[in-house]
Amino acid sequence: MPELLEIRNVSKSFPGVRALSDVSLTLHHGEILGLCGENGAGKSTLMKLLTGIYTMDEGGEILLEGAPVEVEGPREAQHLGLSIIHQEFTLVPDLSVAQNIYLGREPRAFARMAVDDRKLNARAKELLDRLEIKIDPATVVRELSVARQQMVEIAKALSFDSRVLVMDEPTATLTDSEIHTLFELVRGFVTPKTGVIYISHRMDEVKELTDRVTVLRDGEMVGTVPTAETPIRDVIAMMVGRKIDTDQRPDPGRQRGTPVLEVRGLSTAALLKDVSFELHRGEILGFAGLMGAGRTEVARALVGADRRSAGEILIDGEPTTIHNPAQAVEAGIGYLSEDRKRYGLLLDQSVSNNVVLSTLRSFVNGVGLINDAKIATTAEEQVAALRVKTPSVRQLAKNLSGGNQQKVVLAKWLTRSCDILIVDEPTRGIDVGAKQEIHDLLVHLTDEGKSIIMISSELPEVLRLSDRIAVMCEGRITGIVPNSEATQESIMELATKFRTEGMGAA
Amino acid sequence: MSIATAPTEDKAPTVARRQRFDLQKLLAFGALIVLFGFFSVSSHAFLSWNNVTGILLSASVVGVMALGATFVIATGGIDLSVGTGMTLAAVMTAVFLNPDYLGLPLVLGVVLGIAFGSLIGLVNGVNVAVLRIPPFIATLAMMMAASGLALVISDTHPIYFSDVPGFTSISLGSIIPGANLPNAVLIFFAAVAVAGVLLSKGLIGRYALSIGSNEEATQLSGVDTRRWTIAIYTLAGTFTGLSGVLIAARLNSAQPALGQGYELEAIAAVVIGGTSLSGGRASILGTMIGALLMAVLTNGLQIMAIPQEWQRVAVGVVILVAVFADNVRRRREAGH
Amino acid sequence: MRTTKFAGVAVMAAAALVLAACSSGGTTDDASSGGDSSSSSSDAGSGDELYVALISKGFQHQFWQAVKLGAEQAADELGVRMTFDGPDSEAEVEQQLQQLQTALNANPDAIGFAALDSEASIPILEQAQSAGIPIVAFDSGVDSDIPVTTASTDNKAAAAEAATHMAELADHTGDVAIVCHDQTSITGIERRDGFVEYMESNEPDMNVVDIQYGGGDQLKSTDITKAILQANPDLVGIYGCNEGSAIGIVNGVNELNMSGKVIVIGFDSGQAQIDAIKSGLMAGAITQNPVGIGYETVKAAVAAINGEDLPTTIDTGYYWYDSTNIDDPEIQAVLYE
Repeated sequence: MPELLEIRNVSKSFPGVRALSDVSLTLHHGEILGLCGENGAGKSTLMKLLTGIYTMDEGGEILLEGAPVEVEGPREAQHLGLSIIHQEFTLVPDLSVAQNIYLGREPRAFARMAVDDRKLNARAKELLDRLEIKIDPATVVRELSVARQQMVEIAKALSFDSRVLVMDEPTATLTDSEIHTLFELVRGFVTPKTGVIYISHRMDEVKELTDRVTVLRDGEMVGTVPTAETPIRDVIAMMVGRKIDTDQRPDPGRQRGTPVLEVRGLSTAALLKDVSFELHRGEILGFAGLMGAGRTEVARALVGADRRSAGEILIDGEPTTIHNPAQAVEAGIGYLSEDRKRYGLLLDQSVSNNVVLSTLRSFVNGVGLINDAKIATTAEEQVAALRVKTPSVRQLAKNLSGGNQQKVVLAKWLTRSCDILIVDEPTRGIDVGAKQEIHDLLVHLTDEGKSIIMISSELPEVLRLSDRIAVMCEGRITGIVPNSEATQESIMELATKFRTEGMGAA
Repeated sequence: MSIATAPTEDKAPTVARRQRFDLQKLLAFGALIVLFGFFSVSSHAFLSWNNVTGILLSASVVGVMALGATFVIATGGIDLSVGTGMTLAAVMTAVFLNPDYLGLPLVLGVVLGIAFGSLIGLVNGVNVAVLRIPPFIATLAMMMAASGLALVISDTHPIYFSDVPGFTSISLGSIIPGANLPNAVLIFFAAVAVAGVLLSKGLIGRYALSIGSNEEATQLSGVDTRRWTIAIYTLAGTFTGLSGVLIAARLNSAQPALGQGYELEAIAAVVIGGTSLSGGRASILGTMIGALLMAVLTNGLQIMAIPQEWQRVAVGVVILVAVFADNVRRRREAGH
Repeated sequence: MRTTKFAGVAVMAAAALVLAACSSGGTTDDASSGGDSSSSSSDAGSGDELYVALISKGFQHQFWQAVKLGAEQAADELGVRMTFDGPDSEAEVEQQLQQLQTALNANPDAIGFAALDSEASIPILEQAQSAGIPIVAFDSGVDSDIPVTTASTDNKAAAAEAATHMAELADHTGDVAIVCHDQTSITGIERRDGFVEYMESNEPDMNVVDIQYGGGDQLKSTDITKAILQANPDLVGIYGCNEGSAIGIVNGVNELNMSGKVIVIGFDSGQAQIDAIKSGLMAGAITQNPVGIGYETVKAAVAAINGEDLPTTIDTGYYWYDSTNIDDPEIQAVLYE
């Protein structure tokens, strides 16, 4: 019996880069196959070949139920029964759930001149009921939470009666209970006629959900292993080519210097109330808390990106005025936003232009002209020091993987020699190997005397790196604990210390 | 130690950068060559020195204006006030120089006329960066106000330079003896050189592109984007002022009712030259080629006695083709 | 005197710029939105004096300023209140119609109207007619029997006059070209066709080889002239249909150092054209009688209000002027600087 889906000897080259070379992969009937690999390993490229967004190089082939197919575009893929759920949503926010699900294939009325909304909603309701998703099909997508939008996205993919469902990082924005619901959906989808390819960085999910795991590294296939019999550590080792310790804690004997930054009574009109803390030289101060607790807001108010209603900032004991990010930079504070693409990078510009963005002035010579050779040298030094994977410093930032983009943003602040770095979700969307590198880098920077505020939603990351941990809830700091006293449980307790009146209302 | 590695590592980037730079210009430049060749073959009158300098001269006023507009467009903004701003600067130059008004010395009057253009740009910049008025609206308002002010200040009369000796030679004289190449053309090329250096090697150009790529990231990197935005609009105004002096010198008069519509020709030149209206990507050489392309096209069609109506159709088609071809090239480069 | 005037102007300029800086777009200057309204009578506002509203084709141009001057003279003499409005440019048909509508809403005793597009204006003119407000067309005709009369230059005859002089100066042989302001307005069409038709029927050895349009913009007309001369090196003469076109021709001929080799004939006046005629760069030009147009329009309007009979057209006349007669008082009276 032919396999459900077979990818044979597929390669894909871009000018100057070989993104995939000779990759083969098999998806059995009724199987959930995990696809793992660091960012830049070729997972996304492979998926884009499968759905016809890219065309593969000569020599490879894709077989569906044993028959070679040529996928010429996303629509073609859907007709063949290949559905992909992308990391980025493809929903139209101002249309209803039902309109989104059947976009482009609406049931028609009045001699096909108009959309039959009643039939549309009925059909969508039937689908959502079958999937046990409790959303009214007439709701406008914009009004749904991110997690529920994800559900709609999945419902849309399943509405094509797909045989093969590909999911690319579907849980990045979901809570635990929502992930649970999603898994139920995926398991429900799998029948002896269908199969799922599940791409994720989260090893625990891969372990829980999949039957086998295929690992890619640097555009090449490393191997496929049965999930049940393979420890996570071994899968990670296949991905990065070396073993990684996941239960590390910072060295408790690390020296803490004098306070470099003191924040007193920081408040904003919208959220923050009386936030006070100290940051010591050579320290990593972790900020933990639930979504919306106000951690990013602390960072933005601190660097003057948002307006403060009250609060004092002292640097090296001196009161300092910071009303805008330019003044923050002047005072030696660099902010690495959680949203790199929106707030951190010039995506359409070269790596070197990004690296020197905050220091461009120092590359101007006596007659006011920019010295590009010097910029290239500096950028190359930083690229080498941070081990940024890029063919050259002239590469555009958008062509780098997430981890390497993060390194470029880091390089920008290091070039500026900022003493205080605020890193907001430094490893979000970054794969395991690169994550490790970023962690090592942060620790290395504190060894050099830099002080770091690290905001992270991943408790293991906070525990692994922070010397002390500030926990926030509802715009307040509910506790600052030394690493030695912190556990995931104790942090969660502080993070959910809602004020009593808030609880009473609920 | 970095010094030792720098030279060898540097050669390659420079060469590569230059190649990429040229490639970007290739389409508009190729079209320019093709058109030039076509008209040369079609009409014996086209390829005479007089006609070639005529084309260059006719490109210079809009060309200078377009250079400034390139910087604004690089930030993702737009400057609609360059056309009537040019007129207002021309009128002010007349006010400064005409003996019936202030009768200032030639050099001082010209400098003040150009500076008045900078002032117009400064006001635009403050409106955009400080008052946060969208560039389209801020410069639209300035376009209207400048047009009105030009009429008010001149009392709706043209002001002549007949009593300002030497003024017309700013545009029409020729400092290269015997070359019969009008100074306005030389000034245009000099302005191209200055603008080119400012865009590719000056902080102002780099920040213009950075703001155009991602204003928020640039600001969070500690760049005072507000101040630089003002500087960029002021620079555009300075080029507008220069174009005002050039047109006044060429017409020996400041014509207060002129100028509306010139801004669209300037924007067309910028766009044909491969500068992206959404910002982040700009080329001064491209803008120059864009201005020349339009001048060659108009002149060639006029020489061939093609009816005016069709000349405009042709320019419209060139703009569409240029921008479309640029899109296609970029998509291909991106590997899709 | 002008210096003091400048001081005031400079203050206004600075104030307006600051104003522009402080507002997003509402504060455009009156002049830029086309409302150059003026009232010729100092004691405006008395209820029973007659009110005549003139809507011209423009107000920025010297020509229209001269028309306005004539209208003001007539208004003063006849003791009526007069307002004068016109669009920003001769392409702004819609703006002109809006101004016509506004004038009509002010319920004047008569309206003087120089249509940019006579077809488009007919619905509003019909409103005026049904309200019993007489319409006097001026400068160019309106294709309708609504106007009680039309006070205008006979543009075709004037253009033929220009052609006569061109033919004489060229000894009745050779190629000539035309630089015109546009191809759609009645003045543009008549001044072009009057010239072309005269050449076709009276001058077998002369040809109009090229007609180009520069929108009345001096810079564009200059470049057009140069292109025409490049393409037709044997050209004996060029005729410009309005002031901007004519000055563009002078500039173009000048820039190519061809003055004296090409006969330049212009239309209307203005400082630059007068200078060019005096210095010999331009052989001569046709001038209309803009002051007369304004004067006759207001006079006819008052006559219509009083129910007097009017001829269907009032020819306001035109003159040929060149270096020999430019200083005659008769000519000086109709020229504007």
